[in-house]
Amino acid sequence: MAVKSIQYKQDTFTISYEIVNPNASVDLMILHGWGSNKNLMKQSFSPFMSGFRHIYIDLPGFGNSTCNVALTTQDVARIVELFMVNINASKDIVLGHSFGGKVALLLEPKVLVLVASAGIYVEKSLKVKTKIFLFKTLKIFGLSKFRSLFVADDAKELSEEMYQTFKNVVNEDFSEKFQVYKGKALLCWGKDDTATPLSSARKIETLIDDSQLEVYSGDHYFFMKNAEDIAQKIEKRFLETLGK
Amino acid sequence: MKLSILFGGASFEHEISIVSAITLKEKLQAFDLNFIFCDSDHSFYLIDASAMKATTFSKGNHKKMPLLTLSNGGFVQKSMFSSTEHKEVVLNLIHGADGEDGTIAALLDFYNIRYIGPRTDASIFSYDKRYTKYLCEARGIKTVKYETQYINEHKNLSLEYPIIVKPASLGSSIGVSIVKEESKLDYALDTAFEYDTNVLIEPFIDGVKEYNLAGFYADGAFHFSIVEEPQKEEFLDFEKKYMDFSRVEQVLKADISDELRVKLESSFEKVYRGMFEGALIRCDFFVINNQVYLNEINPIPGSMANYLFEDFPSSIELLSLSLPNKNKPKVTYEYIHSISSAKGK
Repeated sequence: MAVKSIQYKQDTFTISYEIVNPNASVDLMILHGWGSNKNLMKQSFSPFMSGFRHIYIDLPGFGNSTCNVALTTQDVARIVELFMVNINASKDIVLGHSFGGKVALLLEPKVLVLVASAGIYVEKSLKVKTKIFLFKTLKIFGLSKFRSLFVADDAKELSEEMYQTFKNVVNEDFSEKFQVYKGKALLCWGKDDTATPLSSARKIETLIDDSQLEVYSGDHYFFMKNAEDIAQKIEKRFLETLGK
Repeated sequence: MKLSILFGGASFEHEISIVSAITLKEKLQAFDLNFIFCDSDHSFYLIDASAMKATTFSKGNHKKMPLLTLSNGGFVQKSMFSSTEHKEVVLNLIHGADGEDGTIAALLDFYNIRYIGPRTDASIFSYDKRYTKYLCEARGIKTVKYETQYINEHKNLSLEYPIIVKPASLGSSIGVSIVKEESKLDYALDTAFEYDTNVLIEPFIDGVKEYNLAGFYADGAFHFSIVEEPQKEEFLDFEKKYMDFSRVEQVLKADISDELRVKLESSFEKVYRGMFEGALIRCDFFVINNQVYLNEINPIPGSMANYLFEDFPSSIELLSLSLPNKNKPKVTYEYIHSISSAKGK
């Protein structure tokens, strides 16, 4: 592991990262999802794709990386971009899981690998809608102390800044951004995913011109058991870019 | 004899300390041992000997064991109606921060607890590798040349490659890398900065002869271990050193001349005397062109370098009987009394 200090809009972010295969010349940037960290991604992918220089990072506010201000997805992408400039990494391949998928998209890499990516707005279920209505009603009566019963698992035990960040990034719709992306995309999805359902993948597939969808069995974390196969698909997809 | 083994600590080497303690349990079977675990939140727990397994700590089972607090002269275990005092000598086996940076030494001194381990001044000079260089300069001990880097201020290096980059204040090879070309320097520095804001850089000498010597001063004389020539594949990384701790077999004595052994021992004495009394330390040396260079001081070596001593239990017992006494000033209020009587009150 290593750390790098990144200056962004008057704030300093300490970004924790790790490089695997330091001598490879093609860069593979790997971004984790909300509430996760680089170790989970490294466990899955580091045994494979030895021809790429893997760069695993903890996004600001996660793992060992720091964050003292509320950020938007754009901010996070900009910080990752500054970090990449700093370590001399090129945007050959960027892989993002869930929230990391949205960040990966904004980086506009040559090859975009979306693993159960967020970014497509999914209509809330009746259950969730009812919860929100109930909580807002309680709030009128000054009963907001029951908040912990209502907030999403992803938002529990977050610092003030990260809770604000969470509100900034959750429910964002990136449909237009998927549409303007002109690189090669590889979409990998678990068919039983409930956080980012397969329907999102089908939609992204139609939005991005040059996209390829691979469906696996499993849920939002399906990649942990399918990393080898995903790795082969990524290598193949990358080789296609060399042909031209 | 009775002995309390203090281990754990809020340190990057917390887990190594647990392995060290488990090893010592086996090595000091004849002793009446207490195991005192310092959790990373600085709570102390008395660990039942039968629970001295790595998983006790990784699963958090230690939290169900009795809490200890400190009082003058020892650790205290309080229960509903009584309290038990543990006043035996403590062996400080916390590696890295807390144990080797002087924190635990100061804490034990403050509570008048007798302990095996480096005192505060010895901790300061061995914990930070830059200060070890200063100590060597002051005491006429050779070390390899070095440069430093600070996290917020990168300077140009004048050392030639290959170089070795180390966090200033850690043992066990954590955060250490060998750099063969400039393009790889940045990552090596970032790796070291994860652990410390200061970094020490030295030339990496491939194939240099390395010798480790452990020892202590007790009963009016120095007591040395055998000299070990560590196995190395470029250098010991974290994992290998880790594995190293739990080794059970005694290592082979390095095949060196009596002349070299004397040189190593005299360098050890120069480092130790007047500073490390009360501690069993291991000094790691380089030998270049028949000259002895100090590489680093381990004031609390992994599992107390037990494998280097022919009779480790007797060594610990001997040291425990020769611990330095802290010179405590007596407060008599003589001065205040003299003023008061002069004023006739």
